[in-house]
Formats: sequence, structure tokens, C-alpha cells
Amino acid sequence: MLLQQIINGIIIGSSYALIALGLNLIWSITDIADFAQGGIYVLAAYVAYYIVTAAKLPFILAWIGAMVIGGGLAYLIERFLYRRWTGKSRIQLLCAIALFFLMANLAILWFTPKAKIFPSYISGALVISGFTVSYQRIAILLVSAALFVVVFLFIMKTKIGKAIRAASQDRLVAEVVGININTVNSTVFIIGGMLSATAAVLISPLYAVFPSMGDLPLLKSLVVVILGGFGSVAGVLVGGLSLGLAESLGSVYISSAYQHGFAFFVLILVLMFFPKGLFGRT
Amino acid sequence: MSTLLEVINLRKEFGGVLAVNDNNFIVEEGSRVGIIGPNGAGKTTSFNMISGAFKPTSGKIIFQGKEIQGLKPHKVSRLGIGRTFQNVRAFQSLTVYDHILTGILAHNLKLIPSKEQYEMADYILEITNLDKMRTSVVGDLTIALQRKIELATALATKPTLLLLDENMAGLTYVEINETLELLRKVNKEMGITLIVVEHIMKVIMELCEKIIVLNYGTKIAEGPPQEVANNKEVIEAYLGEESEYA
Amino acid sequence: MGDLTVKPDLVTRKTPWKKLILPGIILLVLLLAPSFTSEYVIYVAVLAVIYAILAGSYDLTTGYAGPLTFCHGAFWGIGAYASALLTLKAGLPFWLAFPISGILVFIFAFIIGYPALKLKGHYFAVTTFFFGYFVYLVILNSAKLTGGPMGLRGIQAPEGFLGLNFASLTGSYYLILFFAVVFLGFLYFLVHSGFGRMLIAIRENEDLAEATGINTALLKVLAFSLGAGIAGLTGSLFAHFFRLLHPTTFAWMTSEMIVIMALVGGLGTLIGPIIGAFIVTFILEIMRFAPEFRFIIWSLALIIILLVEPAGLMGIVRKLQRRKR
Repeated sequence: MLLQQIINGIIIGSSYALIALGLNLIWSITDIADFAQGGIYVLAAYVAYYIVTAAKLPFILAWIGAMVIGGGLAYLIERFLYRRWTGKSRIQLLCAIALFFLMANLAILWFTPKAKIFPSYISGALVISGFTVSYQRIAILLVSAALFVVVFLFIMKTKIGKAIRAASQDRLVAEVVGININTVNSTVFIIGGMLSATAAVLISPLYAVFPSMGDLPLLKSLVVVILGGFGSVAGVLVGGLSLGLAESLGSVYISSAYQHGFAFFVLILVLMFFPKGLFGRT
Repeated sequence: MSTLLEVINLRKEFGGVLAVNDNNFIVEEGSRVGIIGPNGAGKTTSFNMISGAFKPTSGKIIFQGKEIQGLKPHKVSRLGIGRTFQNVRAFQSLTVYDHILTGILAHNLKLIPSKEQYEMADYILEITNLDKMRTSVVGDLTIALQRKIELATALATKPTLLLLDENMAGLTYVEINETLELLRKVNKEMGITLIVVEHIMKVIMELCEKIIVLNYGTKIAEGPPQEVANNKEVIEAYLGEESEYA
Repeated sequence: MGDLTVKPDLVTRKTPWKKLILPGIILLVLLLAPSFTSEYVIYVAVLAVIYAILAGSYDLTTGYAGPLTFCHGAFWGIGAYASALLTLKAGLPFWLAFPISGILVFIFAFIIGYPALKLKGHYFAVTTFFFGYFVYLVILNSAKLTGGPMGLRGIQAPEGFLGLNFASLTGSYYLILFFAVVFLGFLYFLVHSGFGRMLIAIRENEDLAEATGINTALLKVLAFSLGAGIAGLTGSLFAHFFRLLHPTTFAWMTSEMIVIMALVGGLGTLIGPIIGAFIVTFILEIMRFAPEFRFIIWSLALIIILLVEPAGLMGIVRKLQRRKR
């Protein structure tokens, strides 16, 4: 029971970490808390759902389709909305929240509020000494881990990755030394959109597809970004996993009714005592 | 004359980069002191520590016999230290009159400003020669005027000590002379002690009784204008940038 | 910071009597409304007035002091449930529960706001969003106390006195109208007072405000808590007018709705958010017949406002005035 909860926690946590990774990149470079990722998450899940169920295409194509939609939407939003308000951070945030509501409610209009069952892409389960973990959950874990490595290598090794790192340190200096900040912005938004889409596709078979499915993952990932520190891949990973674990264990040992409030409660408590966040940067 | 401000071993590091290196200096009550030095010499950083915007890494700042290092800026302001900023700052959407009234209310907040406070605002407008534009919106005015309004607002807090950080940058010759006249007046009539950071040598030489020279965070000279101007080390520090400060 | 707020705030100008025409007309229509309209219209008018207080008090925090918040609906909800529970479970009369719920929300906002307001940029705004969501979850899940998703029933009308009866629709309508005038009048006084000037200074340039001697941390949290406290009092009025509370009324979309109302009218003007509240409530009622389009239209409307004129209607009005001069 305990072990089962821990595994569940890690799996949920890795999906938070996946979204948080994109949000963190976006936030640390453009100063935008991109709520729109919550909407991208929802639309990407529906795209994948219809590719699998209506077009009867293999799951891998659904995933790719979702990433294209996710990355594309994020790119367009940054290019045609956020960018025109560079430096006007309040407007950008309001726009992000409006987009989040817009996308979630378009999903209600287009796909009805009814939850749709996403067919599982791998069947079977791993059984070790009495407890079972479905392969599907293991896949979530492996794909998340792989994507973390990919993103990490991308940031550390590629030219644009170096530009991203420079820009997250100091945008002005980066611009002065000739880094094209627009390319950097576009790149982080595309990465963010693709990661959100992936998280949605991975999680959907476990919890079905419905218009408000993006609310909690989005908000909890934002908590992970705030608590886990800025521009730190490790901080996001640790933050995401701890939140997943805390929720999973808390729902059993404290109260399941407040499971989803837990993250916010922790955040508010932490901010009372560490007003600069756990890792110091504001 | 008695000591108004004493800075003892004041030091500031930013993540290992030394900005101000164990500096010491004294400012006498009622005096006019200039701080000069090349860019990055630590002038603004010193101001930011005195006014409370930065916490010193180590060292003491003693104002009127009280240690004030590490106090919040609004507390420092209430003790009687006013300042202006290197890059002009203003409450853009207020009218000139309200901008100055804000300075007066900041230290003595009343829901309804008293008659004395209104009169004080009128007085400040008058001595700073801003009377004609009292109903103009600050954000619509030129940078030169905004600098003047910033200075007027600092004066409105009735400071004992006023820190001016390149308040005359970008002003015309006539405007500089006007501000100089104003500063001499507030120094003499209101008894306000002045510390001026300025790149315009004319201002420093004409206004200040004492000049402190900083270079790479360290004080390299201190003394009356003529003496400092002939100091070898100072000339060396400025060499190559001479044209800019001529 | 001046990106969203209407400028300029010509605060020195003596209030010209012209400025009072519009609020005067609105008030007159509202006063006479019960004599020529149906009950339905009165219900809508009450909603409009309540939203007007909410949008006006929201303006104190976000329009005047500056920080963007997304939890005003939560403060409204806390006030509503606090007042309802104080009367239902603790047996207090409305006339005690009403001020207590306002004070409770004020204290609560102060405790939350003091640490949170030290956060810069989007951190604070996002935190308020979480806070609003958290409050909603607590109301929803504390079924024993709040009735949870079943709602809270049996709330009584305010006790009458001196022959005044607040149990009737007209009676409670005039009660709410009375407090709307009191609260909005108080806000009008506040934003035009020395306190209001300090808030504008903080909004315009926090560093300069601090260097000028303004205790920015304290004044910001005061603006935040006063706005919240008024929202709490409004919640109490709401609870004892409709006598039925439901958690979804105070879900996060309500907070966004208040933000939209304030933006439609123009932040930092007080009258703007009030007008915005009336406009948005009116449109909300029209759209009752197409609920599935409601949020879509709101989200689109918000984006369009941001694209066209982030300073809202009053921003357009002020621009025209300035052009004329």
C-alpha cells in the first residue's frame, strides 16, 4: 500500500515536473507565468484522442500530432500576443489567463463537457513481490525521464540552448552580445508547448480526457516552478516529484478531500516563512 | 562644524565582485561634498547603501550619531536623508503639484492634507521655479523637468542631507546654472547638506567645498576642488577619459 | 506599471460637479427602480450593485496600489460564508455578523498579503490565484460546515429595526443600495485622500516612493486588506440577500470576472470599474440564454480589451479629453 502510493506519487509528480519544466523555461526567460499552457494541455489531449479513436492511427502518431499542435499554439501565442506587450508584464499575465479560459471553454463547446476514455496504449502490468504497476505508468516515468535528459542536453549542448541560458541570466546583456531574443523566446515557448502536450498525452489514458483536465496540472506545475527555483532543471524535478509524493501520501494519511488543495496550502505556508521562495530568487 | 554623516569601512560586494572597497569619509553639517570617479567607481552603489536601497556587505554608516546601515529606504528617508536617482524616476501620472505634495505627505501622512502641507507644497513650487506648470502631468514633461521635479520632491521631505545622483545629466547650460543656484540657496537658507555625484566637472568645481574621488570602489583622493584637480593619482584615473570630463 | 491604469489621474483638480452627474443618474435610477420594474430586474440590479462594490474595492488594490490580484472573489466568498455561519451556527444577529465578517476578511487578507506582497512580478499575482482556488476548495470540501456542493441554506434576512423591514425584496434592496453608497463613498474618499496619493506613488514608481519615505510594504498590504475587507462586507450583504450560498459562486471565474469588470471600465479611476460592473452584469444577463458561450466571449473580450485599450472605457474618455485640451 505504502509502496504503491509512493510509485503513484512519483508518476504523477513526473507529469507535474514535465509541465513545470516548460513553464520554468518560459518564466525565467520571458517573465511570463504562462497559464496558456493549461489550455494547450487540454487541446493537445483532445487532438491525440481523436487521432487514436477517430483516425485509428497508432499512438505514437497521436503523440507527435499533439506535440505539433502544442508547440505550434505556444509559438503563435508568443509571436502574435505576448510579444507585442514586451515589458508590460501585467497585460501579458492577464492575456495568458484569458487564453487558458478560452481554450478550456472552447473544448467544452467543441467536445462537450463529457469525459472521454482514452484507450490505453500499452496493456499489462509489472508485478513485483505482490504489488502491480501498469506498464502505462512505467511508460510515463520513462518518457518523462527521457525528455528531461533531452531538454537538459538541448540547453547545455546546442547553440540555441546556450543562448537560452545566457538570456535566463540577463536578457539585456544577452541582447547586447548579439543573441536574437525573439528566437530564444520562440524556442522556449515551442519546447514548453511540446512538453505540456506530452504530459497531457501521457496522463490522459489514466484519467480520461475532459475540458477541465488542465486546471489542476497547470496550477500545481506553477507551484512547482515557484517552490522549485528558477532556471534549475534539478529544482523542477525535485519539486515535481516531492509534490506528487506529498499529495499521494497525504491523500491516504491525511485527507483525500483536500488532496488538491495541498499544493496551494504548502505554497502559502512556505511563502509566509520564506517570502523569496525556497531557493531564494525572486 | 559638526559631523553629520560618517562612513566607516563601507564595503559592498555583488556575488564576489567588489563594488565599494572599505571606504571611509566624513561629511560635515551644512557642507557641500562632491563624489567623482569613472563609471563603475562605486559612486551610485555608495549612495544606494547610504539611502538604504542596498545593504552593505560590511562597514558602518553613522548619521547624526546613529547607525543607519541596513535600514529600509523609507526609514532612512524619515531620518532626514533625501535622494534622487541616476536614471530619472517620477510618479508619471501625477500632476507636478501632487508629485511634490506626495513628498510632503510621505513623512506625515494625513488623509486630508493640512493647510501647512499645502503651503509647503506652494513654497517648494515657488523656490524650484515650477509654479507655472503645477497642473501639468509629470509624464508629459521633458526629462530635464522631471529631474527637477524629482529634486523638488526630495526637498519637500525636508531632508537634512540630500544625495543627488547625476541630477544635472542632460541639462542645458542654462538649466545647470539654474539648478546650481537652487542648490546653493537650499544649502545656505535651508541648511541642507549636499552630497553630489556628478560627471559634469563645472558643477563639482563650482558647487562643492570638498571632493571625494573613487576609482574601482576605492577612495583615491579627498580634499578641496583645486587640490584634487591637481592630484596625480586622480589625473591618472581619468586619463583617456579626459575629454569627457573636461 | 502604468500599462493598465488610466492616466493621468488629475487628483489635484477640485471635483467638478459634472463628475457627479453620471453617478447621480445611476443612483437615481436605482432608487426609483422598484417602483417601475419587475422583481427580476431588481435581482439583476442587486447583482450589478454588488459587483460594482467588488470592482470598486478591487480597484483600490490593483488600480491604485498596483499589484495584480486574482482572489477578490475569494474574499467576497469568505465574507459571505463567515457571515452566514456566524448567524446560523453561532446565532449572532446579522448586525453583528456583518461587521465581524468584514473585519475577519481584513485580518485574513493582512496575514496573507504581508508576506506575499514581498513577491515581485508575476509571483504575487500567481500566488493570489492559488489562494483563490484554495479558498474555493476549502468551501467545497468542508461539507460539514459549509454544506459543500449542496450549498448553504436557511440564511436569514437582516433583522429590521425602527420599523424598517429587510425581509422584503424592496427592503433588502434599499439596504444593499445604502451600503453600496457608503462603501463606494468611502472608497472615493480614500483614493482622493493622502492615502490614495501614496498608493498612486507606489504604483507609479515603488523605488522612488520608498526613497521618498513612504512605507510601501505597509501601505500596499493596507490597500490589499481594505479592498478585501470591503469585499468581505459585500459578501455578507450578498449572503443575507439571496439567503443561499453555493461554492461555485465564489470559484476562480468570479475573481476573473471582477478583473474583467474593472478592466472594461478602466483601472485606477474608481468610477470606471463601477461602470464596468454594470455593463458586464447586463451582458451576463443577456447571455443567460447561451451559457456555453459565456466564458468564451469573456476570454475573447478580455484579450480584445488588452489589444485595443488596456486602460478601458475611462482610458478612452481621458484620451479624448486630453486631445481636446
